[in-house]
Amino acid sequence: MWGDWHQVWEIVSQPDNVPIVALLFLVPFYVWYACRQAFATDRLIAQLETDPQLAKTHHRKVFPWKAGWDREVHVWPYLMRIEFLAAIIVTIILMVWSITLNAPLEEPANPNLTMNPAKAPWYFLGLQEMLVYFDPWIAGVVMPTLIIIGLMVIPYVDANPLGNGYYTYRQRRFAIWTFLFGFLFLWVIMIVIGTFIRGPGWMWFWPTQTWDHNRLEFAVNRNLDQIVGIDGSWLAHLLPQTLKASSPIIARAIFGIFPLVLYVILAAYLIHLICNLTAFSRKIYKRMTLLQIVTVQVLLVLMLSLPVKILLRLLFRIKYIWVTPWFSI
Amino acid sequence: MPETHSDDPIQSRSFTVPLLVSVFLLLLTVAWSLYDEFYGLRPWRSYQHEFAKVYAQYLNNQIPRQQNREKLIRESAEYKKLDEQVRAAEEAARPRLREIGKESDYIDRRLAALTDRFQEARGKVTALVYTMELYPVGTNSRKSKFAEVEQAKKEIYAVELPTPDGRVETKKFVYDQLEAEFNNLKARKAQLVAEQGEVLRPPKELREQRDNYFKEKMEGLTADQLKGLLNAAEHLDISIRQINVNPTDPGINNFGSGGLVDRCQSCHLGTDPKLVPLAMTLIKADLGLAKSKDAPFASHPETELLKIHTTEKFGCSPCHGGNGRALDSVRRAHGRYEHWLWPLYYAENYQAGCQQCHAADMLTEHAPVLNRGKDLYRSRGCIGCHKFEGFDDQSEQILASRQAIRQLEQEKKDDELEIPRLNKAADAAPDNETARKLNARATNLTVTISNIDARIEQLEQKTRSLFREEKKVGPSLKEVRMKLLKEWIPYWLGHTHEFRPATKMPQFRLEQDQIQAIAAFIWQSGVPGPALAKQPPGDAGRGKQLFEARGCMACHAVGEGSNVIGGDFAANLSHVGEKAGYDYLVRWVHNPRERTRPFCPFEKRDLGPEDYAKHGLAYVFDLEHSRCPNDGHELQVQQPTVMPSLRLTWEEARDIASYLITLKRKDASYELAPDLDDPRLKERGRALVKNYGCAGCHEISGLEDEPRLGTELTTEGSKPIERLDFARLTEDAKRGVLPDGKESPRGPWYDQKGFFEQKLASPAVYDKDKYKPDPLDRLKMPKPNVTADDINALTTFLLGSVDPQLPQDYMYKPGDARHDVQAGWWIVTKYNCMGCHQVHIGQQSVLQNLPQYQGDNKIKLPPPLIPEGARVDPNWLAHFLDNPAMSKTDLNRNGVRSYLEVRMPTFSFSDDEIQKLVRFFAAASSQAQPYLPPKLEPLTDTERTVARQLFTSPAAPCLKCHATGDPAHDKDATAPNFLLARERLKPAWTLRWILDPARIVPGTAMPSGLFRKEGDHWIFSGPLPPSVQGYAKDHADLLVRYMFQLTPEEQLMLTGRTAATAGSGE
Repeated sequence: MWGDWHQVWEIVSQPDNVPIVALLFLVPFYVWYACRQAFATDRLIAQLETDPQLAKTHHRKVFPWKAGWDREVHVWPYLMRIEFLAAIIVTIILMVWSITLNAPLEEPANPNLTMNPAKAPWYFLGLQEMLVYFDPWIAGVVMPTLIIIGLMVIPYVDANPLGNGYYTYRQRRFAIWTFLFGFLFLWVIMIVIGTFIRGPGWMWFWPTQTWDHNRLEFAVNRNLDQIVGIDGSWLAHLLPQTLKASSPIIARAIFGIFPLVLYVILAAYLIHLICNLTAFSRKIYKRMTLLQIVTVQVLLVLMLSLPVKILLRLLFRIKYIWVTPWFSI
Repeated sequence: MPETHSDDPIQSRSFTVPLLVSVFLLLLTVAWSLYDEFYGLRPWRSYQHEFAKVYAQYLNNQIPRQQNREKLIRESAEYKKLDEQVRAAEEAARPRLREIGKESDYIDRRLAALTDRFQEARGKVTALVYTMELYPVGTNSRKSKFAEVEQAKKEIYAVELPTPDGRVETKKFVYDQLEAEFNNLKARKAQLVAEQGEVLRPPKELREQRDNYFKEKMEGLTADQLKGLLNAAEHLDISIRQINVNPTDPGINNFGSGGLVDRCQSCHLGTDPKLVPLAMTLIKADLGLAKSKDAPFASHPETELLKIHTTEKFGCSPCHGGNGRALDSVRRAHGRYEHWLWPLYYAENYQAGCQQCHAADMLTEHAPVLNRGKDLYRSRGCIGCHKFEGFDDQSEQILASRQAIRQLEQEKKDDELEIPRLNKAADAAPDNETARKLNARATNLTVTISNIDARIEQLEQKTRSLFREEKKVGPSLKEVRMKLLKEWIPYWLGHTHEFRPATKMPQFRLEQDQIQAIAAFIWQSGVPGPALAKQPPGDAGRGKQLFEARGCMACHAVGEGSNVIGGDFAANLSHVGEKAGYDYLVRWVHNPRERTRPFCPFEKRDLGPEDYAKHGLAYVFDLEHSRCPNDGHELQVQQPTVMPSLRLTWEEARDIASYLITLKRKDASYELAPDLDDPRLKERGRALVKNYGCAGCHEISGLEDEPRLGTELTTEGSKPIERLDFARLTEDAKRGVLPDGKESPRGPWYDQKGFFEQKLASPAVYDKDKYKPDPLDRLKMPKPNVTADDINALTTFLLGSVDPQLPQDYMYKPGDARHDVQAGWWIVTKYNCMGCHQVHIGQQSVLQNLPQYQGDNKIKLPPPLIPEGARVDPNWLAHFLDNPAMSKTDLNRNGVRSYLEVRMPTFSFSDDEIQKLVRFFAAASSQAQPYLPPKLEPLTDTERTVARQLFTSPAAPCLKCHATGDPAHDKDATAPNFLLARERLKPAWTLRWILDPARIVPGTAMPSGLFRKEGDHWIFSGPLPPSVQGYAKDHADLLVRYMFQLTPEEQLMLTGRTAATAGSGE
């Protein structure tokens, strides 16, 4: 059933989902706002580059400088008053929020009856959504660990000395795009999908579609080897008698390596291209050590695997690429 | 401060306006949060303020009214007299009181002076004695210590004692004197206190008398009490009012680990007895809020219930549901939100709260809706498909005992084979010891076998009882070939509620071809005979009279539309003539329990004459001949109907049947149904009958052991909502759209209540929009024949049927007489005793309301049974219930009230049922168990003469109304024969009865006021016959003793004399 606005309202008005509804507006706004600042700074940089004299005297980074202005301004009152105002406004928002919406408590847990859909807290919905596409072991353990490690290594792999302490786009194009892709595209969008799109049975419900608990969906997801038709019969001739019975498993495990390696090569090459897109980025790339390059490559190849896998699943109904008895990817 | 430049945006921009606006908004928010803190989240505060206001107003109005009432009482002569007496008594006591006061005052002063000195001396002496006791007797040290004690006792104490005239004298005491003086004073003091009590008693008693008089005359609370309440209302402490219950066994229940906390009284202030005492009722209108929808101030409407279920033990939410802890909004407190699993019951379902603890009771006082629900559940045959703990489960028990018998028989067979084997082994044994052991084992096995036999016999007896108890809601379908018009069967299946608008049978959703198949199966599976005896036609006119007089209408009704007359316990017989065969009807009316063929549960078939003939037996089966000729097991020899035998003659049965056969519409005709004999349809029909669970309510050949088809409903009320399949209606239910597309007045109905109500109104409703090409896949539940009220009653019953959330000791499981009462209700309602009898106070029997029993004809009604337990001897009652004719040969009569046309039927109760009924009546009349008949003093000759005279006195001609056994006399009798009294009645009750019968049975024909009280005994109030005048003892007691020792000869003699006196009087 389509055009069910009542359903939309029911999802949006849930106290649980308020932060995510806010997220829908706040994240684009702040991205836009940061970009505006960054572009302003970029213009300033351009201005300063054309006027070396001015560059010597100018230190303020936000507004394009005009003659007669102070070189620097004091924290008090010029920063503090803005922060104070912001604090007041945030306080108001939090108070109104907490008055109008109570903590969304639910009934006592019943071990015989799981709620449907059972959803994680909103900040974990991205992880829960990842479980659709990956083995629990990968989505639940490997990926979160890598995310944390990736965030931790940023300072150590960042070979770009520019852009510290001010907004800039031109000087940090690579970092900004990586962030936008990783955070906005992968993390926020998955949270949004988990909140608004995933209904009972974790099925895909488009907005205004009724979340029908009785909905049945026909979907067969198959592993890549099944699509290709790997059954190990060919391999069985090569194997010793004792291993013949497990030839399908071995064949699958061996087969999966090829597309994976192919992907890694392609992805690494793509990242290499992106890293060397402009003269500026080539300069930065040259500054990086081999260890830094390898770390960045590994992390980005893995990051890229997420959307690739999502697309494979949603478009081609492929469940796993590489199936082994211990884990599947 | 650095110099500012007007064009620098950082320095020059002013934040005054945003800051001002933000601060203003912040202040507003703070104000809002404070409001929310005190009122928004605490709506009870506003309620309390409002209650204090309106309640104070109400009390202020009440106080002058009550003051006026008090004044009137205080000014009444009676009160004034009592008050005068009080004052006089107080006056009389005053001089002595003054003297006592004076003396005790003097003693107190002396004691005060003495006590210190005495305690000091005693301390010293006892310490010395202790030291002395440390040394063994006879030692020197002990002697010297003893001397010290003596020394101390001789010491002289000077005490300044006040004298009566107010001076102070100094007296000297040694220790012993001091002690004696002290004790004397104490004793005198005690004496004075006792005397004071004595003197004060008369005025105190009179005062109590006066106050009691006042209390009796005063209606409602006194002005002083009201003033106290007013004070409480005016200074109402605006605070959360909570009830804490901490059961000893917290168990798993919604009390949670912290016990129950109910804060309902925070808003429902009228239910707090500290504010509105239980003696007072408060309704919205009293407070001037009759029209308000938001005034939760009424007091609890059923104070009787509150007295049994005190809030200290039960709180509120265990009975009413709701979230007792929540206070922040009405919706939350009432638990009417998704996440609270025990929402407040709506007003029409509130009795569901009783069911949780009273699940085992058939009849719960104060809960008529719940009782109706349970009654419907049983009588409408819900129980045929849906198991429910505690309801009739005889068929399951029969199955279980049959399996047990089979197992025991197998064991027995094995043992029998084992014996010769052991004997043989013993013969071949190598030594004597082994042989002896083997033989002993063989012998033991024979004993074991006899034990098994005993157990099998026990189980057979139990089966026999169970067969008697097992009743089906619908008639047996084994007899259809004899009973029914063939063409009528398919019509009935398709037009159930049209043919008989009040029928219990639900309407099944059947396609025409299904109807044909089912009818064919039913028709072909009916037992073929032996054919019924051909009956000559009877007299329909006489049959109608009998139908109306014998009591048939206590259960059956006739008439259509608004002309329905009679009970609704059994079928409305309006169109019975259109479907039933005359010969069968005659047999049925004569004895509905009579079967064409007995059913053997072991062979699983109905036995015919050929089975009996095989064993050379006559084809006779009844309660006395109930063993299977083939395997010796207990047979079902009765039809499983609750309809009892009225012990009619064949002629009467023919008359009634002739009358019944005339009950039909003139134009009724049914299409011929030749397919019914088509053997190809039979199998399909059988599958359909199995599918729709027909055997739940009907006895059907080959389907006797069918299990119940539906969901067990014992804890249906606590089934999680997700497990109730609303199917395509789920979203509509959540959004408050009813199945008919209208908006639900109460909003969403996605809850248990909504599910039950819609399901009962239209069981097929959840098939809406479902694709089920095979009709067998559709929801099977048929549409029950129920009204909106019935649906509400059943919903209430189901809502209350929950997994108990309360500790075990809250369940109503009385071990005393109340248990007997509850056990009895199951039987009383099962057989519809209340169709003819009044069984509990306030209940009307069906017969009472029939036109033929109005006015003078009331004496033709069956006796009320309210005092039955007190009236009759339980042993006699058991005997009577088993055989109401009180005779083995003459069955066409009532055993006790032979003069009544309405007949006490023979129910063929099982022993267990009789036992339960007897205990029920005893318990309902608060009789002790077991009952031992008291020994009555034998009559002396004089007493007998006196008694005879009284008994036949023209002022109380007992035998005029009471039956004597003489047919000519009994024609006009309206009371039972005295000869029955000895076995039947309890003397104590009989005495109470003859003293004031109208008090026990209002409206009885037995005259009241036969005796008057003279001193401490009762004297006959009519003119006393000469011989009686000298008799000084109690007349009523004498008559009772005479009655209990009456012999048939004596009665004969009396009747002779009565006739004589009557003759001479004329």
